Amino acid sequence: MAKKDLTLNVNGSLRQVTAELDEPLLWILRDDLGLTGTKFGCGSGECGACSVLIDGEVYRSCRVPVAYAAMGQKIVTIEGIGSVGNLSALQRAFVDHTAFCCGYCTPGMIITATALLGKNPHPSREEIIAAMDHNLCRCGSYLNIIEAIEAAAEAS
Amino acid sequence: MNLTRRQFIASLGSAGLFYAFRFTPGIGTQTGSFEAPLAPPDESVCLDTPLEIDYTDWIAFGPGDKVTIFTGRTELGQGLKTVLTAIVTQGLEISQENLTVVLGDTDLCPDDGVTSGSSSTQTVGWGFWLACLKIRGDVVIRASRFLSIPVEELEFRQGGVGLKGEANLLVNPAELGHGEVSFMDIDPKAEKSGKTYTDLKIPNVNAEAIVTGSLTYVGDIKKDGMLYAGWATPPYHTRLTTLKSADLSAVRALPGVKSAEVVQGMIAVIGERYSDVLKGLDLVQATWSVPSRPKEMPLEEARADATLIAVKEQQGDINAGLAASDLVVSETYTTQYIAHAQLETDISLAKMENGGDKVTVWVSTQYAAKAKELIAAYLKIPHSSVRVIAQPAGGAFGGKQANPVNPEAARLARLVKAPVKLIYSRKDQFQIRSHFKAAGIIEVTSGVSSAGKILARKVDFYQDVADGTKYTYDIPHVLVKAYRDTNWPISAAATRGTSYVQTCFATESHIDSLAHRLGIDPLEFRRKNILSQALVKVLDTCAEMIGYDNNDLEQDEGIGLGIIVHGAAQLGAAAAKVAVDRTSGKITVKHVCAAFDIGTVINQNTALVGLRGGIAWGIGFILSEEVKLNGHRVETEYFSQYKIPRFSDIPPIDIVFLDNYAPGTGPRGCGEMPVIPTLCAIANAIYNAVGVRFYSTPITPDKVKKALGSI
Repeated sequence: MAKKDLTLNVNGSLRQVTAELDEPLLWILRDDLGLTGTKFGCGSGECGACSVLIDGEVYRSCRVPVAYAAMGQKIVTIEGIGSVGNLSALQRAFVDHTAFCCGYCTPGMIITATALLGKNPHPSREEIIAAMDHNLCRCGSYLNIIEAIEAAAEAS
Repeated sequence: MNLTRRQFIASLGSAGLFYAFRFTPGIGTQTGSFEAPLAPPDESVCLDTPLEIDYTDWIAFGPGDKVTIFTGRTELGQGLKTVLTAIVTQGLEISQENLTVVLGDTDLCPDDGVTSGSSSTQTVGWGFWLACLKIRGDVVIRASRFLSIPVEELEFRQGGVGLKGEANLLVNPAELGHGEVSFMDIDPKAEKSGKTYTDLKIPNVNAEAIVTGSLTYVGDIKKDGMLYAGWATPPYHTRLTTLKSADLSAVRALPGVKSAEVVQGMIAVIGERYSDVLKGLDLVQATWSVPSRPKEMPLEEARADATLIAVKEQQGDINAGLAASDLVVSETYTTQYIAHAQLETDISLAKMENGGDKVTVWVSTQYAAKAKELIAAYLKIPHSSVRVIAQPAGGAFGGKQANPVNPEAARLARLVKAPVKLIYSRKDQFQIRSHFKAAGIIEVTSGVSSAGKILARKVDFYQDVADGTKYTYDIPHVLVKAYRDTNWPISAAATRGTSYVQTCFATESHIDSLAHRLGIDPLEFRRKNILSQALVKVLDTCAEMIGYDNNDLEQDEGIGLGIIVHGAAQLGAAAAKVAVDRTSGKITVKHVCAAFDIGTVINQNTALVGLRGGIAWGIGFILSEEVKLNGHRVETEYFSQYKIPRFSDIPPIDIVFLDNYAPGTGPRGCGEMPVIPTLCAIANAIYNAVGVRFYSTPITPDKVKKALGSI
């Protein structure tokens, strides 16, 4: 497949890439744009480690062909949520509640939780679980993650 | 061989003070007294001896206020870096900003063993604590000579030495050395620390990096000219088939594909981008030999072809014990293949250096020194030509002790003369790496007196390593044997929870079974037979937490118990409450209460999240996880097929720490302990809920519906 020039709106900046249209967005982010916070966990959209926001909705970037995300949508990756020394309230809550072990699922968790709190600022525990249930954590940090999300919701 | 001490110190670029320490005679396994004094300040160990000495860890002072510690152990998410930071900053009274922790770099760090068995905090961690205390004293002696002030007038504080009673420091450790090394032997049993460790509950030191996605895993590293690589999956299990022919012309013709090679009977595709590799793999044409094994490969075959590989435990006279019993019960349990299923698949980045004379490999591993050995052996190059740098792992759980991805990446990098990042896909993780906790058949026979004392227990374990029955119950006649079919294609892996997960599922279910047959409450039956009072206390704590005697149980709800002793000195127990839905067959875990007697907790934040994670692992083992094989190949490919626990599978969890077994003797580790008691408690709770015992795991809704439908 021939490569095309595409423009992506990532974390508020317009970025130019040259890519095959069916290249998964995940690898464009990681390899072409140097945004390695979004992780490869399964490549089949089942684990959530590759989650990004596209116009506020959670997508599995390993399953999004880059062309589908290059039509003016606003893409937000974990790098757009906060940075070291300038964490979002949710990231701060994850730190305070040790809501991780190895951290590999964490960017995906924060993306999904950010989308949840954006739509539902004070979710019940059941609503948190339902929204997060497709993000996997093999280390088993689930309860800590729930507690972090609840704390962030309460503080807001 | 390798870097000498002199070279190592020079590489740090500073004159300063260095300590190397190791444990003697051995952690937690031997007692003994220790008489050798600390090396006097002006003696030094020969600087031209090699850097690597077994079980040695390093502390370097300098330049200025900087302190650097070195260990070959690695960060797997268990919080090792946080534990070591907590220990050393407190032991030396220094700030985190002044401490650098170097993990798993084979050019800099010693080989102090594999990161496994929930042992690192207990050994390396506590070693650093005791070393810091010794160093405080040694530094004061040096300072006394340096300053010509009597030792009695000085004290170590805030990372340096000053006069007692005065606030300022006169000298810091780095100024007291000129690059010499003090070599210390530490006997943890003999050390009487004047300073008590206090858990200050510091936040995880990787926290900000993790939550911003800026912690660097292997896959996040990029090198100029780097290529991606992947393996073609054979249609049959790699150990059952050989490559007969391959046509890679279409693969090589693909733009973006740099190379397609047969490497030791496997087909590698190397491309500019990972998607080029995947596209190339789709075009591979190959024929593989058809396995001679039958397509269905039930575990019973393994039992038929198994030979004895070890007598794991023998005590008393099993036949006499059984003969003397009032009741003898035999049961057979079977367990499933378990995958590590860590979220970061096997991945390795290898780069040839110096025109091909050396190779640097960035790895995700539990054992950097072993990775170095494997790479050198596989490439047939000198050991000293290999540098392994361990990045934090995205989960390991026992599956990254000697992962082949590392030598494979190095081999491919040499082949294509470019840096190669080799990635195992999720399917590859199941079907090529194919390294699982082996499925097993466990036959348990116990003899009990009518009064409720277990007199004899015999365990025969097929297809894995049986263990973990010691130190738990007081049984005078014991015989535990492990059998294996050595032709079985699946290699048995260490997995979180230890190799005795299967045995304990069988023995703890069996304990409940005996209790019920005798008409004795399972808690009471355990109390009668448990070996140590400290373990009884742990169990009683759980029972009380869950309200064992006064829990309002609805129809088809039940509470069950499980206990574990890990090694000899990590004690754990769990109580679980479950609800069984007869229509759907679904088991809901409603509450887990767990208690652990593990000595000093170094960092409660990392301990608790790790213990909760271990409980999740227990839930997955007993209720849903299973790798499926069909005799010729592993069929499982995806997370949708291999069901690890999710948010909705986790109940409320209460955890309590106790310290009765050996108070004041430091930490004893805990990361994998909760797995066994949790899964056993759930299994026993299911029986108590519906009166049906399940002898095979996982206890899936289909199995439940089938069993209950027949009532």
